[in-house]
Amino acid sequence: MELSNISISGLIILVIACLLVIALMVVNAIVMVYAERKGAGFIQRRPGPYEVGPWGTLQPVVDSMKLLGKQIFVPSNVDFFLFFAAPVLAFFPVLLLFLPIPFGPFLTALKVPDGIVLILAFAGFGLLANLLAGYASNNKYGVLGAGRAVSQGVAYEIPMILALLAVVFQTGSMNLSEIVEAQGRWPWSWNILCQPLAFFIYLVTLVAETNRAPFDLPEGESELTAGFHTEYSGMGFALFFLAEYANMLLVSFVCATFFLGGYKGPVLDGFWWTFIKAYLVMMFIVWIRWTFPRVRFDQLLNINWKWLLPLSILNLWITAVVVNFIGK
Amino acid sequence: MSNFSFLNPFGVLDEPGTYMGDFYSHNFSKKAKEGTVILNLGPQHPSTHGVLRVLVELYGEYVMRSEPVLGYLHRSHEKMAEHKTAYGFLPNMGRVDYLNAIGWNWAYAASCEQLAGIQVPERAEYLRVISAELNRISSHLVWWGAFVLDLGAFTPILYAFDDREDLCDILQRVTGSRLTMNYFRFGGVGADGDERFFRLIREFIPRMRERLKMYRALVTDNVILRRRLEGIGSMDADMCLRYGATGPILRAAGVRRDVRKAIPYGIYDRFDYEIPVADRCDNFGRYWVRVEEIEQSLRIVEQAVAQIPEGKHIVDKAPKPAWKIPAGESVFSVEGARGEISVHVISDGGKSPYRVKLRAPGFSNLALFAEAAEGTLLADAIATLGSLDLVIPEIDR
Amino acid sequence: MITAIWDQLKGLYSLIVGMIVTGRYFFAPQKTVHYPRKVVDPEDLAAYRGPLELTRGKDDESRTRCISCQMCAKGCPGNCIKVVKGTEGKLPSTWVYDFSLCCLCGACVEVCPASAIDFSHRLYLVVTSREELVMDLLADLKERVAANPLKPAPDVPAAAGQKAADAPSAGAAKNGEV
Repeated sequence: MELSNISISGLIILVIACLLVIALMVVNAIVMVYAERKGAGFIQRRPGPYEVGPWGTLQPVVDSMKLLGKQIFVPSNVDFFLFFAAPVLAFFPVLLLFLPIPFGPFLTALKVPDGIVLILAFAGFGLLANLLAGYASNNKYGVLGAGRAVSQGVAYEIPMILALLAVVFQTGSMNLSEIVEAQGRWPWSWNILCQPLAFFIYLVTLVAETNRAPFDLPEGESELTAGFHTEYSGMGFALFFLAEYANMLLVSFVCATFFLGGYKGPVLDGFWWTFIKAYLVMMFIVWIRWTFPRVRFDQLLNINWKWLLPLSILNLWITAVVVNFIGK
Repeated sequence: MSNFSFLNPFGVLDEPGTYMGDFYSHNFSKKAKEGTVILNLGPQHPSTHGVLRVLVELYGEYVMRSEPVLGYLHRSHEKMAEHKTAYGFLPNMGRVDYLNAIGWNWAYAASCEQLAGIQVPERAEYLRVISAELNRISSHLVWWGAFVLDLGAFTPILYAFDDREDLCDILQRVTGSRLTMNYFRFGGVGADGDERFFRLIREFIPRMRERLKMYRALVTDNVILRRRLEGIGSMDADMCLRYGATGPILRAAGVRRDVRKAIPYGIYDRFDYEIPVADRCDNFGRYWVRVEEIEQSLRIVEQAVAQIPEGKHIVDKAPKPAWKIPAGESVFSVEGARGEISVHVISDGGKSPYRVKLRAPGFSNLALFAEAAEGTLLADAIATLGSLDLVIPEIDR
Repeated sequence: MITAIWDQLKGLYSLIVGMIVTGRYFFAPQKTVHYPRKVVDPEDLAAYRGPLELTRGKDDESRTRCISCQMCAKGCPGNCIKVVKGTEGKLPSTWVYDFSLCCLCGACVEVCPASAIDFSHRLYLVVTSREELVMDLLADLKERVAANPLKPAPDVPAAAGQKAADAPSAGAAKNGEV
């Protein structure tokens, strides 16, 4: 997309979209904190948040107030600029990633032909933030966490891209709207059925990319206390938290768009289908988190290099052959 | 004092990097190799279960060397024994190892009884076995939850505490407290079990067996857990014997030693149960032995509840608080949840014991850590530490 | 190769089994006792050891049974009991109990020749300062009796009173206390 193509009205739409996305990220964090704690509570046979507000619904709001009011503690000998740049850097690139996602038939902030390329290119920024946070905070746990975050993130991006590429091959387009349009209304005409292996690989890499259990090694609590954000308190921590949930939301949206038919549903297409599907994926991630133990680091990389990568290449190859010789 | 700073108030820093931390880390870092990182795990760390501190030298994420530092929870129980009456020292036993209070109760009470030649009534022996085995189950449950928590799964610990809650309710019926139980008396036990106590136990046993199946499905058979534990943290029989490890750690190394069978005390020879032994020597062996022990303890409790005779729960003319232990010395060993608990009482016939030596199994078991963790990944070292089932108050005493 | 794939598939199956377990518990009833709205079954608290209290007297229930023999104070491992003999017979004039030092071992309850002490079942005791943990048990006894007299004043014929006086001691026996 060339710059000259952006008209004034397009710019206004973009600004409004950015504001809406920020609002979405914050609301999403609040909703997901509540949903995650309730989900964890029910799985563990306790009610979860219960006391603040009806059924504890105000708990995440109160929590965020608490985080806002906390002292921002800076340990000695930190790299001051990087220490504060890291949480901001974790938060803002995610903003950009939401723009090309088709929430509804006409609800796309940035209609770019290669939307998925934009998303995958900027998704790596989160890693950089984790690395900077761990490196800048002058903490050994932080450095270990940062090292883990980078090698894990870099490794898992490859099968993730290859899995998505299989769908792109099948559809013949990198435009997210066209990928949704290529899928039908009913679950059996979604890509999850034509590409089950790609869906499975994407689901695994999605958990790893968002640093969630059982792949939460960069912040593995029992080993590295809190990994790369050990030294962050107050708003610094809150921004990492926000970014984590925003990342989760993003990968879930991509999952919904690529594999679950996006905004298409049995009745009444619209953005609500995107949201329902994305939040179902997120609840699935929450469910996984509260069930499994953490994998070890070498196992994590082994799963990636020895299983997911060959499988995704195989899947891509089969897709290519099928698309080329048999047609769509 | 030119280089004064609040971090280094005495100006002992000659040049940056030559002195790090306190005495222990200073000495530890003297032997550090080039390119390694000295990391302090604890005393405040999520997986040291209290205030254990472990110094590790890391090369990347590989543990080159490690050294546990103790003493952060030292409460001088042994010295307290020299100042309290023999009876007044009984409550301390519940505080030495807060998860296995009954085991320690038994070791001290029986050691004094042995010295005084007190014969414990039949019913009291059964109550002792029941409470000790229930306590062993509850201790293993906490260990199970905390160990899986070390491996990153949060949910199992709450399921374990769910079951432990029932056990606490049962034990509270007779002991009066839920954690730091002070149940044994010289010549018997503190209170008789009532109808509700035995009913709760009878209800608990089948429920716990069902739960063990669930534990197996959720955790034991889980492929992630299996691969985290199998072949990691090898402690073979030779190493266990060298360091004096006892309990499930020794049994996981293939040595069939359990004080309950080796030197049968109380009435343990009347029950039909097995000593689970694994010869894997690894973390999974220790895991398996403990989970099996829960099952075996349930069997013992089931038989004890069925056989328990009527009678007194404490001898007539049981020693009063002002009781003086007869002069002499005695040692009594008990199989606790963590290993062999021994209490050595020396008395000169005075008001308080002359000396009481508490042999805590956790202390010897911890000694294996440094050797077992050498060359493993940090995550595996933490798993190994968790598999030792450490209770820090017991180690420090 | 095939066994390796088979192992992986078995591993994946074990993960699904684990998820079914947690998924089932998601819909299972909860175990939490919501404290201010629900309380623990009092029957479960029968043997619970709360802070000490003086048992009610046999004849005059607002009077303690304590005979100031000092057995409890001597037997206590934590030295948390202070009993001072008063002028009126054997009755104590002060009976101060420091709950902050008490380890709830039960030595005092077991040793008391007059069964004058017992554990209360005050599970929900809350204080805001350390001083409040030093309790005057004589005053506490008076308060309890004033709030909940189990029998009429002592000048009523003893036969009616004797029956009611058994009530607290029956409660004590149920505690499994020695």
